[in-house]
Amino acid sequence: MTTAIDIHHIDKHFGRIKALDGLDLQVETGTVHGFLGPNGAGKSTTIRILLGLLRADRGRVRLLGGDPWADAVRLHRRLAYVPGDVELWPNLTGGEAIDLFARLRGGTDPVRRDELCQRFDLDPRKKGRTYSKGNRQKVALIAALASDVDLLLLDEPTAGLDPLMEAVFQECIREACAAGRTVLLSSHILAQVEVLADQISIIRQGQIVETGSLTDLRHLTRTSVDAIVDQSAAALATLAGVHGLQDTDGHVRFEVDSDHLAVVIRRLGELGVRGLTVRPPTLEQLLLRHYGDEPARHGAVA
Amino acid sequence: MATVMVNRPVVAAPSQSGGTVTGTGTLLRFMLRRDRIRFPAWTLGLGLLMGYFATALETFVESPADLEGLTAFSGSPAGALFGGPGFGFDDLTIERFLAGQYGLYVAIGAGLMGLLTVVRHTRAEERSGRAELIRANVVGRHAQLTAALVLVATMATVVAILIGGLMASRGYDLGGSLLFGASVGAVALVFAGVAAVTVQLSEYPRAASSTAGALLGAAFVLRGLGDMAAVQGSGASWLSWLSPVGWSQQTAPYVHDRWWPLAISLAVAVIAAAGGYALATRRDFGAGLVPPRPGPARAVAWLDGPLALAFRLHRASLIGWSVGLLAAGLAYGSFTEPLLDGFTDAPEDMVAIMGGAENLLDGYLGTMGLTMALAVGVYAVLAMQTLRAEETEGRAESVLATSVSRSAWIGSHLAVTAVGVPWLLLVAGAGMGVGAAVSTGDAGSFGGLLLGHVAHTPAVWLLLAAAAVLYAVAPRVLPLIWVVLGYGLIVGYFAPILEIPASAVWLSPFAHVGEHPLEEVSVVAVLVLTVLAAVTAQVARLVFRRDVVGRT
Repeated sequence: MTTAIDIHHIDKHFGRIKALDGLDLQVETGTVHGFLGPNGAGKSTTIRILLGLLRADRGRVRLLGGDPWADAVRLHRRLAYVPGDVELWPNLTGGEAIDLFARLRGGTDPVRRDELCQRFDLDPRKKGRTYSKGNRQKVALIAALASDVDLLLLDEPTAGLDPLMEAVFQECIREACAAGRTVLLSSHILAQVEVLADQISIIRQGQIVETGSLTDLRHLTRTSVDAIVDQSAAALATLAGVHGLQDTDGHVRFEVDSDHLAVVIRRLGELGVRGLTVRPPTLEQLLLRHYGDEPARHGAVA
Repeated sequence: MATVMVNRPVVAAPSQSGGTVTGTGTLLRFMLRRDRIRFPAWTLGLGLLMGYFATALETFVESPADLEGLTAFSGSPAGALFGGPGFGFDDLTIERFLAGQYGLYVAIGAGLMGLLTVVRHTRAEERSGRAELIRANVVGRHAQLTAALVLVATMATVVAILIGGLMASRGYDLGGSLLFGASVGAVALVFAGVAAVTVQLSEYPRAASSTAGALLGAAFVLRGLGDMAAVQGSGASWLSWLSPVGWSQQTAPYVHDRWWPLAISLAVAVIAAAGGYALATRRDFGAGLVPPRPGPARAVAWLDGPLALAFRLHRASLIGWSVGLLAAGLAYGSFTEPLLDGFTDAPEDMVAIMGGAENLLDGYLGTMGLTMALAVGVYAVLAMQTLRAEETEGRAESVLATSVSRSAWIGSHLAVTAVGVPWLLLVAGAGMGVGAAVSTGDAGSFGGLLLGHVAHTPAVWLLLAAAAVLYAVAPRVLPLIWVVLGYGLIVGYFAPILEIPASAVWLSPFAHVGEHPLEEVSVVAVLVLTVLAAVTAQVARLVFRRDVVGRT
């Protein structure tokens, strides 16, 4: 597999504010890569550096084998970008904007464009100023998805879309992936990334704090266990990897590191389990561990 | 939206006045906070401009003979066109000359202050979406417009007091000084009222300010034509009475000292503002009066590259400017014959002093060429400002994310504007030529007029390229280019009167080509300016290598 995006240790300052702090990111060709992080973590800055709109202060960036700052024009023919906050020309219609973007990128498939307009339920005859945020977003999405490109850079692309359109979007991304396209999907909406992404990188304060497949990341996390047992669960507390054990009249709640799950479950079984709920970690929990009060820092896996 | 206050459980009840202006006081304080730089910049700036004129003139006029010399120009029809009706110029004093000749420019500045401030705090806020946040609070429907108008009234009062005080402090008659100050402030009020109407018409702040600005331009032209007729003692001098700027000038400070024309200004300001309120209740929030219509579902075939996009974005403004300059050209041109007539009636030795009737006509036509060049300069600067809007409003980002390079992006906007410059000068020159030909019944001056206008192209190009460099360095320094344009205007009109040294005149890009047909067009200047402009534009493209988002 080749690498579509290869960012090596980049820094970016805006004045005295450090937006990116030694960020590393690799995206394999043909995969959907989720780029997760809270607002202000540096997602958009990273994507704009990939577009050559901003220049990194330090570090190395390769995009589709080229330098995004120096070869911007050549590379942009092979990618399409959807910003998180789409701004259109107030006096151009949505249809005109779609055609314009496609032509500026080097051509589009008119059949596919019309099909996408239909699927996204967009009236292309409206002027840019009359569109709601969601509809402006659709214009940029249709322009990007109708283009025959290798790479899609999507910066929180579904902000403002309703759930129905979100489903259409997911369908389109799966099709793009099936067609061999690479997708970098930035979001703070965890469910969206969970559904689509092959790989996930989590960014916080300008650094990648986790990267890997969802399964990889779950290795690093705890599983929540909620059980009703006959005997005292005090013995569990002494086991390695068990956190926050609560025992109220036989109702036991605790979290366990995934690495120690096997041992703990075996011991739990010996306590006479009458009821058991085990939940996998959600991405919310992943983020909570990174952005919550725990100062824990993990090395990258991948 | 005014109903937001209904369930408010706070003891401090909304005002009894129906609540449509609830929150005006808070908004006014907020606007003062936002304009903490602009407010003093406008008011002090206008005051200082008047102070500069006064100081420069007092330095220059050392003897009564110097004053006589001034009358020769300012008492002429061309002087009236760019100054005023010349009250009391037969017995000239410094203060009469200041009020009668320079007062016009301070008044125009005050008009701009009024209209731009209203647009900034009403339609621009609405367009940006910030007004929606404001209006969702306990704020009446008319609070923003009211606060903006109160703000302008405050600015106008400060300007009036500053200018009145400044003139009085130099020992000029107190009553006349205060009247002069008030006459300047009145223009700000009228155009604040005009803007209160124009902001209701369209959704775009730019459309609102350009409509109001065009009316200010029309006011300038109308009173110019009227004043010219008045100085000649024949023709349509009543035209001055159609112009809000004219009302202010008709107060004749230091001569007749009449306050009553300002009552017209005040009445029109109030009526216009009332019209604005009435229109505001007839439209939806965020909308104009004309509902949007569906447009084409597909882009036309030619809209396929950065150059085509730049043309599409500048097209509406180019059409507007073409119409405006054509109308102005026709109006000014049609006054050629009355101008000549006025001169045949004048005493013969006076005509001789001016270099004969032929030269006077050429001087007028040449000055008009420069005037149009300065106006086209305004177009060029505004065109560069749309680039700034493209960037700050996030559309540049989407275009630069396609296969359009930075250099192609800025280059295509520059190219479209650069082609627009000679086109607009040609249109203005053709308007003047046709107007002059119809007026005199002789088309002989047509070719010379076209040349006189179009010859200024390289000067405007240089201005445009300099603006591009400023923008390329940092968008926020772009407004500095207005200094160059303002300098060109002062040098172009007042260099002989203010005795500006030749080396300082030389700095203005507009001072080299020559004001044809009065002067010959300098081919060397045309070539040098063209090369300089091309080099400067190239510098702009090279400098434009900075980050294009996240900066201002």
